Amino acid sequence: MAVSPDSSGWPLTEAQSGLWYAQRLDPANPLFNTGQYIELVGALDLDAFRSAVTTAVEEAEALALRVVDAAEGPRQLLEPSRRPRLEVVDVSGAADPLAAAEADIARDMATPIDPTRDPLAAERLFMLGPQRFVWQQRIHHLAIDGYGMILLTQRAADLYNARRRGTTAGPALPGLDVVLAEDAAYRGSDKRQADAAYWRETFAGQPEVVSLAAGAPVSAFGFHRRAVEIDAATIARLHGLARESSIPWPDLLTAFCAAYVQRHTGTPEVVLGVPHMGRLGSKAARVPAMLMNVLPLRVAQQPGVTRADFLASVARSLMKARRHGRYRSEQLRRDLKLIGRQRRLHGPLVNVLPFDETPRFEGLHARLEVLSAGPVDDITFTFRAHGAGGLRLEIDANPDLYSADEALAHARRLDAFIAGALAAERLDEVPTATPEEARRHLVEMNATAHEVPDVTLTALVEAAMRRTPDAPAVRFEGVELSYAELERRSAALAGALTDAGAGPDSLVAVALPRSLELIVALVAVLRAGAAYLPLDLAHPDERLARILGSAKPRVVLAREADAGRLRPYATVLVPEAWPTEIGAAPLRVPVPDDAAYVIYTSGSTGEPKGVVVGHRAIVNRLEWMREHYGIGPGERIVQKTPATFDVSVWEFFLPLIAGAVLVVAPPEAHRDPLALARLFRAEKVTTAHFVPSMLAAFLAEPMARGLELRQVFCSGEELPADLRDRFHRTLSAELHNLYGPTEAAVDVSYWPAGPDDRARPVPIGFPVWNTRLYVLDEAMRPQPPGVPGHLFLAGVQLAHGYLGRPDLTAERFLADPFVPGERMYRSGDLAYYRPDGAVVFLGRSDHQIKIRGLRVELGEIEAAIMQSGLARQCAVVASRDAAGTQRIVAYVVGVEDVAVLRERLPARLPDYMVPSALVALDALPVTANGKLDRAALPAPEFSGSGGRPPETPSEKRVAALFREVLGLDDEPAAEDDFFTLGGDSLQAVALLLRLREAAGRDPGLAALFAAPSVAGLAGALDEQGARADFGLEPLVRLTEGDPALPPLFAIHPAGGLSWCYGGLARALAPRRSVYGLQAPALSPDKPLPPNLETLAADYARRIRALRSTGPYHLLGWSVGGILAQAVAVELRRQGAEVGVVALLDAYPSDCWRAEPEPAPDAALKALLAIAGHDPDRLPGLALSRASVVAFLRASDSPLGTLSDTALDGVVRVVAGNNRLVRGHHHARYDGPLTFFRAALDHEGRDLTPAKWAAYADHIDVVDIASLHAHLTGREATMTIAPALGAALEACEQSRKTSCATMACADASPSSPERAEA
Amino acid sequence: MIDPTEIRRLAEPRESLTMDGMRRDIAAMLHEDPSEIGEADSLLDLGLDSMRAMNLVLGWSEGGLDLEFSEFAEDPTLAGWWTIVARQQAQRG
Repeated sequence: MAVSPDSSGWPLTEAQSGLWYAQRLDPANPLFNTGQYIELVGALDLDAFRSAVTTAVEEAEALALRVVDAAEGPRQLLEPSRRPRLEVVDVSGAADPLAAAEADIARDMATPIDPTRDPLAAERLFMLGPQRFVWQQRIHHLAIDGYGMILLTQRAADLYNARRRGTTAGPALPGLDVVLAEDAAYRGSDKRQADAAYWRETFAGQPEVVSLAAGAPVSAFGFHRRAVEIDAATIARLHGLARESSIPWPDLLTAFCAAYVQRHTGTPEVVLGVPHMGRLGSKAARVPAMLMNVLPLRVAQQPGVTRADFLASVARSLMKARRHGRYRSEQLRRDLKLIGRQRRLHGPLVNVLPFDETPRFEGLHARLEVLSAGPVDDITFTFRAHGAGGLRLEIDANPDLYSADEALAHARRLDAFIAGALAAERLDEVPTATPEEARRHLVEMNATAHEVPDVTLTALVEAAMRRTPDAPAVRFEGVELSYAELERRSAALAGALTDAGAGPDSLVAVALPRSLELIVALVAVLRAGAAYLPLDLAHPDERLARILGSAKPRVVLAREADAGRLRPYATVLVPEAWPTEIGAAPLRVPVPDDAAYVIYTSGSTGEPKGVVVGHRAIVNRLEWMREHYGIGPGERIVQKTPATFDVSVWEFFLPLIAGAVLVVAPPEAHRDPLALARLFRAEKVTTAHFVPSMLAAFLAEPMARGLELRQVFCSGEELPADLRDRFHRTLSAELHNLYGPTEAAVDVSYWPAGPDDRARPVPIGFPVWNTRLYVLDEAMRPQPPGVPGHLFLAGVQLAHGYLGRPDLTAERFLADPFVPGERMYRSGDLAYYRPDGAVVFLGRSDHQIKIRGLRVELGEIEAAIMQSGLARQCAVVASRDAAGTQRIVAYVVGVEDVAVLRERLPARLPDYMVPSALVALDALPVTANGKLDRAALPAPEFSGSGGRPPETPSEKRVAALFREVLGLDDEPAAEDDFFTLGGDSLQAVALLLRLREAAGRDPGLAALFAAPSVAGLAGALDEQGARADFGLEPLVRLTEGDPALPPLFAIHPAGGLSWCYGGLARALAPRRSVYGLQAPALSPDKPLPPNLETLAADYARRIRALRSTGPYHLLGWSVGGILAQAVAVELRRQGAEVGVVALLDAYPSDCWRAEPEPAPDAALKALLAIAGHDPDRLPGLALSRASVVAFLRASDSPLGTLSDTALDGVVRVVAGNNRLVRGHHHARYDGPLTFFRAALDHEGRDLTPAKWAAYADHIDVVDIASLHAHLTGREATMTIAPALGAALEACEQSRKTSCATMACADASPSSPERAEA
Repeated sequence: MIDPTEIRRLAEPRESLTMDGMRRDIAAMLHEDPSEIGEADSLLDLGLDSMRAMNLVLGWSEGGLDLEFSEFAEDPTLAGWWTIVARQQAQRG
C-alpha cells in the first residue's frame, strides 16, 4: 500500500475507515464533528495567538485533509487550501457575550460535514471583551481524536508562550506520513494476526451484551450531558487505593464502572467499551490525527469476591486488552459477526482522562469545555481530571435511549457507588441506590397512610343491608334479592351455622356454583363470625380431600348432588335444608383480627396452600376501592370470577358494602364471551373484571363491540399495552390495571390504563392505602428507579399466613427490615420502579425472556399475529427446546393455514422476534380462574430441533455453517431448514460463499432452495462432487413444489440474477416449482447475445428442455418483464402453450429508447440495490466498483464477498441488457398480460401499463402499493404472492374447462436504468 | 485569580528525580524487580500499558516538572524517559 504522497493521496487508515462508513450511512449526523472551546481570560496577545494557531494548524496536517471517494475506494488528500484559518468574531456588543458565543458555537457544531466536500476543521476566536475570549475548535473525527485535540491545543499554547518569551518552541508536530506508514505496516503484520487471534479467543463463547437501556445503540444527532464533581475525599481514597494496589487509579474507576453496570443489567457478565489512545510506543504519538480505538472489556460477575481480587482481575484484563489495542474494534465486530444495529460488541463506554487537558497559556486563565468527542451510540462515562486534583464525572447519553434525568441519575448514582466501593471490603456491600434514592423509594413512594375504620367486613355488609333494605342487592338469571331479603336469608343461615358450631376461629366451606344461594351462603358465613373457604367442585377428589383434610371446616354448604363427595369430611348443609326464618340464638361477632376467608392457591411443589386473610386486610382493600373509584349504590357489578380465585372477593363484597347491585353471571358464563356480552347489555352492567387473556377473547367477540361500561378492572396477568389499546378501540369504559397476590388481600397496586395511557409496558402502578411496595436487590436493599429487583409487599393487607403451615409462612412472610415490628411478603415477582414511582412488573423471578440476546416483548409478537387478521386469538410464550435454547412459540386459534401466517410474520417483526414455532389450537387452554393455562399448552415441535444430529462430514460442515451464518446458539439438527431457522436469501448467498470457502465447492443456490435442510444441502454437496456452480447458472430452481402443477419461470431483471424472486417463490400457495432464469453472460466465457430475441429464444429453449409441454407460466420484473413477453412470443411461435405472463412493473422498450444513455454506474447501483441499500440515499458514495465493494464489505453484505468474476459478470450483464432493451422491437403476443404496477412510483413520468396495448391481447393491472425497486421485497411480496397465485390457479382452471392454451403475454421491460438485479 | 496549574508550578519541588528512582517506580508499577528494567528495554514488552505510563508521568510531574506524556509515548524506554526528565530538570535549574 503506497504511503508516499502522490497525486491520488492515500487510502484511509483502518481507524478512519470505520468512521468513514459510519458517516456515510448517517450523512446528516453532526456528531462526527468533535469540538471544544477554551475560555481565555486576561491580556491576550492577539498577534501572538494568531501566529501560534496558524503554525499549529500548519503542522497538524490532518486538518487539511480532503476525502475523495475514488474508484478503488475512499482516499485522502492533503489540500492546503482547506486548512482552517483563525476567524475572529466580535461578540462583545452582545448583552451576554459568552451566551452569544456559545449559541454561535452550538450552531456551528450542529452543522453536519461532508468530508468529500467541506473543510474538516474550523478555528474561531470570539472576542467577548477586552480581557475575555473564547477559542473554538471544531474538527471532523476523521482528522482527529481526543488526544490529538490535546496535542494540537497545547502546541498552540507552546508556540504562543515561546513567542511571548522570545524563545523557540519545542520540535514541530510530526507529519501525517508517520501515521500512514504505521497503519500500512500494521495491516500486513504478524502482530495484527496475533492481535486478531487474541480477540477472537477472548470473545469465544460470546457474551450476551446488554447496556443500561434497551434499544438500538445508534447515535442520535445530539446527546444529553450531565456531570457531577467527585469530592476530594473520594479522590484521595482513590489515589490511596491506587498506591496500595499498584493499579493505576483510572483502571480502578473502570473496574468500579463495570461493577456498577452489572448491578443494572443483572447479567453474569458485562462488556464495557474502553477508549484506547493507541499512541504509546508509536512514532505517531505526537501526531494530531485519528488513532483512537475502543477496546471491549469483558468483566464477569464474581459473587462474594473481595474488592482487591475483583480489581486485580479487571486491571489484568485491561492490561492484556491494551497490548492488543491496535486491532480495530470495527474489524472485531466483523470477525464476530456482530452485524446490524442491535447487535452490540460492548455496552457503556468508560473513558478516563487522567490529566488536565487545559492548555497552559502564560498570563491567561484558561477554562476548557469539551463539546463533543464524536457520536454517542449509547452512554459514555467520562472521568475528566481538571485543575489541581479535581475530577469530574460526565455522563453523555443517547437521547433516543435515555432521558436527561436518567443521565443525571446515573451521574449521581455512579458517583455514590464509587465512593461506597472505595470504603468497602467487598463490592457486594455497596448499595446500588443512593441514600436519597433509597429514602425516596422506601418513604415517599410508599406514603400511603390512610384512615380506614377498624371494623370487620361483616359489619360493613350489615350496615349496608340496613341502610337500603328495599334496594336490589343481587340479581341472578332474572331473579332479584333485595337487601332486606338478603339480610333475612343470610341471618337465618348464619343461625344454622352457629348452631352447627361455626364461629370465629372456624371455617365454613362453600361449594356452590354461582347462584343466589352462593351469595346468601357467603354473607351468612361472615355473619356467623366464621371464615369462608371456597371449594371448586371441578377439582379432582384427591385435591378436595387434601384441602378439606387440612382445613377441617365445621360445615360445608353444597348442593345435594355434590354432598356425597363432601360428607366424609364435614357436615353438609344443602340449600333445601337452610332455614328461612331467623333463629333465636345470638350470632357471634367477629373482630378485625379474625380471618374472613381462606383461599387455596397452588403451590409450586403441587401441594395447595390455604391463604388466611383477615377482616382488617380485606376491609382496607374494599374501602380503598370503593372510595378510589367512587363506587356507590348506582353501580351494577358483575360477579363472574370463580369463588376460588380471590378476585371474586371484591366482586362479591364491593357491591354489598356500597349498596350497589351484584349481578351474578350464570355458571360457566365467565368463559363465554358471547354470553358475557349479552349479560352486560341485558343487565346494564357498569363494572366488570377480566383476566387479560379473557379480555382479549372478549374483545374479539363482535357482540362486545361498542359496549359501554363505567369501568373494567384487569388483574391476574400482565396487561399488554396492545390489549389496552385494543380495549379502548373496542369498548367505551375506564380500564384499570390492578396487581396483587392472594397473600395480600387481592390487590396491592393500581394503574389507570385509560385511553390516553401510552405506557409501554403497562405498569402495575402505585401502592393502595396503607400498603408498601419494595423492589429489593439480593441483599434486601432498595433498588433505584429502573433497576430490576424482587418485589416485596408490606402493610395492612398482608395475609395472616398459610393455614396450618407455619414453615411456609415463615419462608414467604419476613420481617420488614425498614419498618420495625412489621412483616413483608416475598412475591416472587421481578419488578422495577419508574422514576415517577409506578412499579413495572417484569415477570416471575424464575423466567426471563431473551431471544438471541435480545429482550423480547412477547405482547408485541401477539399484536403482530392479531394484526395479520389471520388469527382469532393467540398466546406467545418463551419455551426451551430440547437443547435448552429459549425459543418463541406462538399458539394460535382460528388460523386456517399456519403456513400463510408464518409467511406473513417476517414482514411485521424483526427476524429475532418471529416465533420458532406456530401451533394451531382449537382454543387456548385456561385454568379454572380463566387464566391462560401455560402448563396445558402442548409442547411445540421446533423445526428440526431435537432431531437427528448431523452425522456425515458434509452434514457437520453444513450445520456449522448454518450456525455461523445465522448466528444460532446451537448447532442445528440434520432436518433443520435454513429458511425456517431465519435465513433469508442474502444469508443464503453468504452460506454458499462460506461453503465454497470451506469445502472448495458449493452446490448452488438452486440446491439450497430446493432442499434447504442441513441434510439436503449436504446431500447436494456430496452428489455434486467437485463441480462448482455458484448459483449463477442460467436455470436455477428457486422452490420445489407440487409436480402436478406447471412450474413458474421467473426471468432476471437488469442485473442478470434471479435470486430476488426467492421470497415470492416461497410465498406462492399452493406451492409450485419456481425456476429462475439467469443471464448466461454472467459467466465470463459466454458472449453477450446480439439482440433480445436471441436471448429470449435461448430462454425458451432452456425452458422447453426442462419441460416439454406447457402451459409455461412466465414472470419478470423490470427487464425481466420485457424478456418474459418476448419468451411468450417465442413459445407461441413454436406452438407451445403459454400460461400466465406476469410483468412486475415492466414497461416496453419504446419507453426507454429515447432515454439518455444510462450512467456507467448503473450496474453498481444495481449491486447496492441487491444488498438492500437505496443508492439514491448514499449521495456521498463514489460509484466505482472498488468503492461500492468496500462499502458492501464494510456494511457486511454477503455481496461484498462475491468473487471478482461474479461481480464482473453482473456489471457486464447490466450494461448488456440495457443495450438489448434499447434495440428491441416488440412483437405482438396473442394473450393477456398480468401487470403488477408499482403504484407509488413513476410520478410525473409517462410509464403506464397501457404502453403494452399494442403488444398484447389485453392487460390486467394489479396495483401494488410499492416502489419499483421494492417489488420483490417482503412487503410487496405479501400482496403479489396471493394475487399471482390466484391468477395461476384461474389460468389452470379455465384451461380445464375450455382449452385455453396460449396464455398471455406480450411483455415489456421496465426501466433498464433502474438498479435492481 | 491564581491558575491552579501555577500552584503546582509554585509548589516546592520534591527531591530531584534520578534514573534509578524512575526505574524503581516503573518496576513497582509492573510488579517486577528493578534489576529487570534495562535502560534500552521496550517498556511495552515488559508489560507497560498506556494508563500505567500516564500514571507514572503524572507522578513524576507532581514535583513540578512540566512533562508531556506524548514525548514519553514516542520512545517508551527507561533511557528515553530519563533523557526527557533530565532535560526538564536541567531547564528548571
